[in-house]
Amino acid sequence: MMIIRPICSSDLDALYQLAKGAGVGVTTLPANAELLAERITLSEKSFKRRLPRERANYMFALEDTEAGRIVGVSAIEAYVGADDVWYNYRLSKSVNASKEIGVHTTNETLYLTNDLTGCSEVCSLFLDADYRHSQNGRLLSKCRFLFMREYPDLFSEKVIAEMRGYSDAQGRSPFWEALGRKFFGMDFSQADYLSGLGNKSFVAELMPKYPIYLAFLNEDAQRVVGEVHENTRPALEMLKGEGFNFNGFVDIFDAGPIVECFVRNVRAVRESTLRHALVSQKTPPVHDDSRFYLVTNCGLENFRAILVTAEAVEYDTVAISPEAAQNLDVKMGDALRIIPLRYKENR
Amino acid sequence: MILIRPCRASDLAGIESVVNQNTSRVSSLPRDRDKLSERIDHSQRSFDQDPDLEGQEFFLFVMEDTESGEVLGTAGINMNRDKSRPFYNYRLDELIHSSPKLGVHTAVPVLYLTHELTGSTVLSSFSIKKEVRDSDYFDLLARSRMLFLRQFKEQFASQVAVEIQGVHGDNDASAFWDSLGRHFFDMDFATADYYSGIKSRTFIAEMMPQHPIYVPLLSQTAQEVLGEADRRTERTCALLYKEGFKKSKYVDIFDGGPTLLADLAGLRSVSQAQDKQIRCSDVHTGLRFLVANHSFEDFRCCITQITDGIGDILRLDASVADRLRVQDGDSISYVAL
Repeated sequence: MMIIRPICSSDLDALYQLAKGAGVGVTTLPANAELLAERITLSEKSFKRRLPRERANYMFALEDTEAGRIVGVSAIEAYVGADDVWYNYRLSKSVNASKEIGVHTTNETLYLTNDLTGCSEVCSLFLDADYRHSQNGRLLSKCRFLFMREYPDLFSEKVIAEMRGYSDAQGRSPFWEALGRKFFGMDFSQADYLSGLGNKSFVAELMPKYPIYLAFLNEDAQRVVGEVHENTRPALEMLKGEGFNFNGFVDIFDAGPIVECFVRNVRAVRESTLRHALVSQKTPPVHDDSRFYLVTNCGLENFRAILVTAEAVEYDTVAISPEAAQNLDVKMGDALRIIPLRYKENR
Repeated sequence: MILIRPCRASDLAGIESVVNQNTSRVSSLPRDRDKLSERIDHSQRSFDQDPDLEGQEFFLFVMEDTESGEVLGTAGINMNRDKSRPFYNYRLDELIHSSPKLGVHTAVPVLYLTHELTGSTVLSSFSIKKEVRDSDYFDLLARSRMLFLRQFKEQFASQVAVEIQGVHGDNDASAFWDSLGRHFFDMDFATADYYSGIKSRTFIAEMMPQHPIYVPLLSQTAQEVLGEADRRTERTCALLYKEGFKKSKYVDIFDGGPTLLADLAGLRSVSQAQDKQIRCSDVHTGLRFLVANHSFEDFRCCITQITDGIGDILRLDASVADRLRVQDGDSISYVAL
């Protein structure tokens, strides 16, 4: 059975293996054992509420209980930019006009901002390539919104997601080549790695501070501003389905879009409902065209989430097997929070 | 005789023929009859010391062949103290981007739009006909202005600026403009330059992008021509360098051409010029000098041979004195050619 639970220190090796497979563009998951151990400790402290709200980072692990190891992770940063500086470019317009000489030009301009400081961020989503099927990605991503729904006080009003920007098969980002490289004198992957190490001061030291007129970049670079990496398209679609919007913020390295939404407006937050656990030996079987519900135990330190088939959901109960009850850490009659894994109109 | 004097309304056709013959850029003298006529009028009022013009005086001199009456060249001085018309340039600075931890240290050249040269005296409108371009009259035309500035230096700023045409290719195209200004105007250099002459340079400058420009983001060719003078300006530059002008960190906002700066008092023609009273005679020997009268509204300057002795009196050929409108006992300025 696939379950979501907070990550713990015994997951370190598996997490390191995952990070090695993540590759360029997943800034928040660098393949560095020491840092990953720190991430786990940070997450453990966060779930135990031993950190100030702004420092918290909650990391969720997807465990294959049969294999006995974690095969994917996702996380929520409670408050971005709390102990470093959070940079984004904001894509704005500069219009130049004179009727007298018949000029009217619009120039897109990138402004370096810290505007998103203080937002919560859903981040670090990564899934082992062998498990990119059976709704696992959706489970990993969406469980976070139910967690936020349960504990809104731990988070900001607004949640953002940085989407991986376009890069070609060799991992080359045209935006980086046209801009960052000229100031950093290094490869995108290296800058990305350094940024993931958490020390952002080099960004402040090397990044151009003045606005950048997009027209000065080559066409390839201009074209990818706000564009996601091919592999990230499904994730973007899912977030859009949850109500996330692109409002002009892009990543400073690869110009990938940042999408944002008020937590209270996230569809999973708005539409999730509560049911009682009905622990039963006889639960409806999964078949090929099953629809799924994401079910959480409403827990904090012992937060758990699994998928059940839609047939298990009744007016005020959700039927779960004793094994599922054990995995969810619930007893008969306990409250469960549920949301359809896919909404009807985009199933 | 070839003579420098303030332009007059009747010079319009002559000036037009000089401007039209000139292939390089003289945007302060547009190829537009009405605008040219306005400039001549502006100059005349400046020489007449019209109080309404205070700070925005523009003095346009012509070089005339007194025999034929032909205008052979033009040269101007802008007072440039008018705060309603700031004088824009790019200042080329370097920003050091340094990360000690990563060991990355890069000096990034940046162009800042600035009008800090507003108030400097600007030598402008230099244009000369082909037939005299390679003669000493080139020097006469260029340097006579410096004698004028010397004589009335209390009226002019101590800093003198000259904008040198940047590198241009065929059809007057500028790689610098194509990489920078063009994005904001959507027109080629020649058209923008035309509007700059018709409207005003300030008008166009104020439509330029307001944020600093990172030079490494410009095209390779634009970066190469930044701060470089067009080869057609070689002689002008050589003359100006000899006078004491130096390349500055300012460049033209349109074509990236260099702005040369000098201290008025330090100009060679200013520091080496002398004044003496004249006595008319019929001497025709001696070294060749630039000789100018001391009149403001009727400034005149020409090349002539004089023998500079140790006395207080300088003997000047009577016909030259006549052209310079000076008589026995009047003072003149002179400097070696």
